[in-house]
Amino acid sequence: MDPIDVHLLRELEHGLPLVPAPFEEIGKGLGLSGNEVMERIRRLKEAGIIRKFRARIDQRKMGMTANALVAWKPAGSGGNVPGKQLAAFPSVTHCYERRPVPGRWEYTHYTVHHGYSRGQVLDDVRAVAEQTGFRDYTVLFSTREFKRVPNVRMRENVSGIP
Amino acid sequence: MSTPSLPDQTDLAILNALQDDLPLVSRPWKAIAERMGITETDIISRMNRLKDTGIIRAISPILESRHLGLHAATLVALHVPEERMDKIAAVISSYAEVSHNFERDHYYSLWFTLAAQNEEGIQRVLHEILQQTGIPESDVLDLPTIKKIKIDVRFSFLPAQIRENTDGPD
Repeated sequence: MDPIDVHLLRELEHGLPLVPAPFEEIGKGLGLSGNEVMERIRRLKEAGIIRKFRARIDQRKMGMTANALVAWKPAGSGGNVPGKQLAAFPSVTHCYERRPVPGRWEYTHYTVHHGYSRGQVLDDVRAVAEQTGFRDYTVLFSTREFKRVPNVRMRENVSGIP
Repeated sequence: MSTPSLPDQTDLAILNALQDDLPLVSRPWKAIAERMGITETDIISRMNRLKDTGIIRAISPILESRHLGLHAATLVALHVPEERMDKIAAVISSYAEVSHNFERDHYYSLWFTLAAQNEEGIQRVLHEILQQTGIPESDVLDLPTIKKIKIDVRFSFLPAQIRENTDGPD
């Protein structure tokens, strides 16, 4: 990643302009052609720095207002299996393995579910529980969102460029 | 199109398509529009409308944290007394290291994610937050990330009439 890549990522963070040739438009401010911009994006994707290039959508504005974090204590096998099982469900948007707090909070796996209603989310979660056999879980519905921004923000929380 | 301000079927198809990886071609909107059988002009004007209403936040790259120097992350849960929630949540949200900060329906009522260059960075911020807010250690769950197994936010938007049939009891 060179300084031009860093500038490019900072520009792209604002979102692509909604004009017919958006990469060309972005390139103007950086002294790059549209093709050069696309080539750099392609390389950043190959390097794994850009995971995906896509729309970020406010699902609540589309009526999808229910959101639950579910903490699981999977039964049985352990290792990578429970995480893979949970992640396989299309209704699961995120799946993480986390270190528990022994004696106070034994859950090790976390999934995130979104839906049009709490009922719909609970149905999804119950289906996951039934099909995996993981019966020990807690559903944490969100009641207020105080902050929701991308994990990685070039202008805010990326300091040293590796 | 009796209610042009509400997302119609074509808008839903656009929103579903824009959640896929964007085609890296000089006219990406045209490429998506052609697949859907609409014009470039139409997709651009619809995207502008969806952006104006705040439904589309941005079409931008999703970056991989560990390739950008963020090597440690955790999820923290706090038991926060109801009457102190707004103030404490505001303190936590003010940190650049915090990306998500939600109130949840549980004894542990405030849940936030922290990312930093390393474990020490995380502990420094967490310690500062606890000092500032006066939350005792016994009301804190620190749940460091061991493994990201899936991070693929993708919403399948349904037309309102179908949505009603999939609704469970609320």
